[in-house]
Amino acid sequence: MVRTLLKFKHYLYLLAIAVIFIPQVAFAQAEAEPTGFLGALEGGVQSIVDVLNLIFYFRIGGENGFPFIVLWLVVGAVFFTFRLKFINLRAFKHAIDVVRGKYDSEEDEGDVSHFQALSAALSGTVGIGNIAGVAIAIRLGGPGAAFWMTMAGFLGMSSKFAECTLAQKYRVIKPDGTVGGGPMYYLSRGLSGMGMARFGQGLAYMFAIFCAIGSLGIGNMFQSNQAFAAVSNVVPSLAGLSWLFGLIIAAVVGLVIIGGIQRIGAVAGILVPFMAVIYALACFWVILVKLPAVPAAIGTIISTAFSPEALAGGLVGVVVIGFQRAVFSNEAGLGSAAIAHSAARTDEPVREGIVALLEPFIDTIFICNLTAIVIVLTGVYADPAATELNGAQLSAASFETVISWFPYVIAVAGVLFAVSTMISWSYYGQQSWAFLFGDSTVNVYKGIFLTCAFVGAVVNLGPILEFSDIMALAMSLPNLLGCFLMSGLIASDLSDYMGRLRSGAMLPEATRQPEAVLK
Amino acid sequence: MSWLKRKLVLVPTDFSEQSYEAIAVAKEYVDDLASVKLVHVLSPLHPADPAAIWDTLSDSDRMAKVTEFLTKKLSEIGYDGVEVVTLMGDPGTQIADYAQESAADLIVMPSHGHKGITRLLMGSVAERVVRLATCPVLILK
Repeated sequence: MVRTLLKFKHYLYLLAIAVIFIPQVAFAQAEAEPTGFLGALEGGVQSIVDVLNLIFYFRIGGENGFPFIVLWLVVGAVFFTFRLKFINLRAFKHAIDVVRGKYDSEEDEGDVSHFQALSAALSGTVGIGNIAGVAIAIRLGGPGAAFWMTMAGFLGMSSKFAECTLAQKYRVIKPDGTVGGGPMYYLSRGLSGMGMARFGQGLAYMFAIFCAIGSLGIGNMFQSNQAFAAVSNVVPSLAGLSWLFGLIIAAVVGLVIIGGIQRIGAVAGILVPFMAVIYALACFWVILVKLPAVPAAIGTIISTAFSPEALAGGLVGVVVIGFQRAVFSNEAGLGSAAIAHSAARTDEPVREGIVALLEPFIDTIFICNLTAIVIVLTGVYADPAATELNGAQLSAASFETVISWFPYVIAVAGVLFAVSTMISWSYYGQQSWAFLFGDSTVNVYKGIFLTCAFVGAVVNLGPILEFSDIMALAMSLPNLLGCFLMSGLIASDLSDYMGRLRSGAMLPEATRQPEAVLK
Repeated sequence: MSWLKRKLVLVPTDFSEQSYEAIAVAKEYVDDLASVKLVHVLSPLHPADPAAIWDTLSDSDRMAKVTEFLTKKLSEIGYDGVEVVTLMGDPGTQIADYAQESAADLIVMPSHGHKGITRLLMGSVAERVVRLATCPVLILK
């Protein structure tokens, strides 16, 4: 009896938080200047953001220079592309072979096949950012931002390879057969193997802190915020009911991550690829309808990439916007997806790294570009009457010019993408939390996560989103630093792997060509 | 003095060395190692764990693996005969519940201190067991 009551106590906390928050939020919405608790919270967060901005967004090269943290990501992606001799190009075909199961072996350790690991990681990366993030980039930086997103996706394939290879190499198989992996593990275990045990441990903790907080932003508040934008866009009567939407989305995510209702997760797992296909088909349809204008649109994207409008802060500005939005979408360099990839069943770390490089390709080079071309083709972004449209609403308006009912599909797809991404990021955040505080307290994190899901839908995010954005980008600091230090290791493992792959010794016996025997 | 001995002593384990050391203490309270049970509580998989998404690792698989692992470990450290019990859920609650169901006389476990803010915020599994259990609990320091 006591125990049942104790269980309920946790839910009571949640309820209490909700009861305190709802009136505050309604109050905050009624007035232009939020006061009371939320006002104080916003003010407090703002001053933290200002300090963090000074550090992470320190502009190298003067006022219009490169923000430090974005430069860090760009340098990382370029470095790994060259250090690993364009792994993003030369391993592409092999990646597809591996995903198709050509190299799967049931005897290897791990929980899921290469294909299953890739799609688990993709459900985290393919989020509403693929619809809304691109629109935000184009709104801020002009069509040229899409070019730099693509570049970021291409170069990001190499950093993704590096981090996921390390995640496999230094994962831990626990006594219950589950896998513990990701930056927390490779930073501490990998660097300790190089005689930097304490430094590695420090980086691992740093990563876990950034990831636990960052998950609340790009993987949570941003998602529920933009999902609401997509829905209220087609159901205008919902506009004042963001708290209801917030409660519903938090409840759905809560049913999965606290209630353990697998079925919702499974349904999202089936619907998300389905929606992605519908979304891609719609993009192709728009492209087909506007086919004669396509070369000009591509021309616009490329030419404005190098001679951007003044509003974007010149060439550097547009590069920064493109890279930043691309990283928010494909997570390359952040290290988050490495947590999911470490579960793959293989004894070849490099092989899972190669599978992982498909992720930025699918997410950014393919899906984000489709959204970008639709926005540029339809020209809504340039319409002076539509300047207030941004994010998911800008994408919806662009589709609407060709397919009048498509904003509804965007609303449905947006909510599904958002929910599946939130579930995945709650896993990344929870793994980091567990690394810091142990497994037995993860329910505390789940409570925080759900509260944020609700808050994300209701409040005008402003400084809170800025804060978690910075935290998410900050994940790249310990993560890429560790990858740099271990890049020699990655490179030698890769060349060893490629050598054995070329010799043909890797294929299972049955499919191997028999050696010619001279008689 | 065997009339003072306990019939069933539980030793919860989180695979830490301290928890294995607790078996030695538990042994002092029983006649026979068969009266000691080593208990491990698994947390349910997160629904976004790739193994959960694709349903490749069921709860019973995980329990069986842990049982196998601990049985091997017990024989390595010379405690053949200790039975392994695996449960699923919140560790504190599950341990206390199981102690009641199985009419255990004693629970022996290390305190495992978290430090600083974590301790303040979360408490520990040991604290929860002490609060919920209906039998005596011996916390090792």
